[in-house]
Amino acid sequence: MAEILGAFEQAVLLAIVSLGENAYGRAILHQVQEPLGREVSAGSVYTTLDRLASRGLLRSWLAEGTPVRGGRARRYYAVTPAGLRALNQAHKIITAMWRRMEWPLKTAR
Amino acid sequence: MAPQDSPLNPPTAPPRWAEVLLERLLTAADRQTLVGDLREEFAEAVLPQRGRLRADLWYLRQVASLAIRPLLAPARFRRSLLLSSVFTLLCGCWLAWMESLLRHPDYLSRFAIDLGIAAVGLATLVTSLLHLGLRIERVLWAGAVALIAIGAQAFIHNATSANFEGFVLIVSLALIAQGALMLLSLGRPAARHGSAS
Repeated sequence: MAEILGAFEQAVLLAIVSLGENAYGRAILHQVQEPLGREVSAGSVYTTLDRLASRGLLRSWLAEGTPVRGGRARRYYAVTPAGLRALNQAHKIITAMWRRMEWPLKTAR
Repeated sequence: MAPQDSPLNPPTAPPRWAEVLLERLLTAADRQTLVGDLREEFAEAVLPQRGRLRADLWYLRQVASLAIRPLLAPARFRRSLLLSSVFTLLCGCWLAWMESLLRHPDYLSRFAIDLGIAAVGLATLVTSLLHLGLRIERVLWAGAVALIAIGAQAFIHNATSANFEGFVLIVSLALIAQGALMLLSLGRPAARHGSAS
């Protein structure tokens, strides 16, 4: 069985799915930060992107830069079919586990 | 250094020296895209919201977070690991051979340890070269911990002994380095971009 995605990996993949054609580094960083409600370092996002790409869950390509970037290229990302399968599997497992619980969890007496 | 409001370094750009530092830290593939992303974020979001000083501090934090990224990219350690594994294998064989020749008291236990060192070196080489998979690589983490423990013990013993021996120092440090490289690079997916164009 393939490794289950970690929470942050899922957040990055979901950010890319929700951004569609606009999923490049900075936009992904914003999209991940928003629901977490805290600042996320660029290093942690790019490290996760590297890892997901190395596992074949993402593909990426370069596009032209803009003047505000000093003309530097943008790298856009898209989730591969394997990435979608991994996301669906992670959702299925977590949902099944939560279904057995009464939410919100209470501390043991 | 470029003047403050040259096209290379407009007033909304992060500190030039920090940007140059970041470019030096990144690979050629990342140099354009990551530096561009951070410059865009700096100019359009961070600087207007936080002001110059806090925005500069934000940029330095991002540089620091990206500086440690190579440590988390295990592919970069692979070549060093292969070389050190060859060294470890040869060391283990040589030490075992010497023990069998000299036959000091209690040589059998040291002979077994030397063979164990050679076996870890050989197993690391075979696993890495044949890409036997992450699960098998993770089994070798136990060997890595053992090498670090053996190396550290030999190092301390040699440093506190009346007869300091140079080759023990080299071998002990090599074993510690081998163990550290194994822990950093084995059992973790290699980091590389799957670029489509």
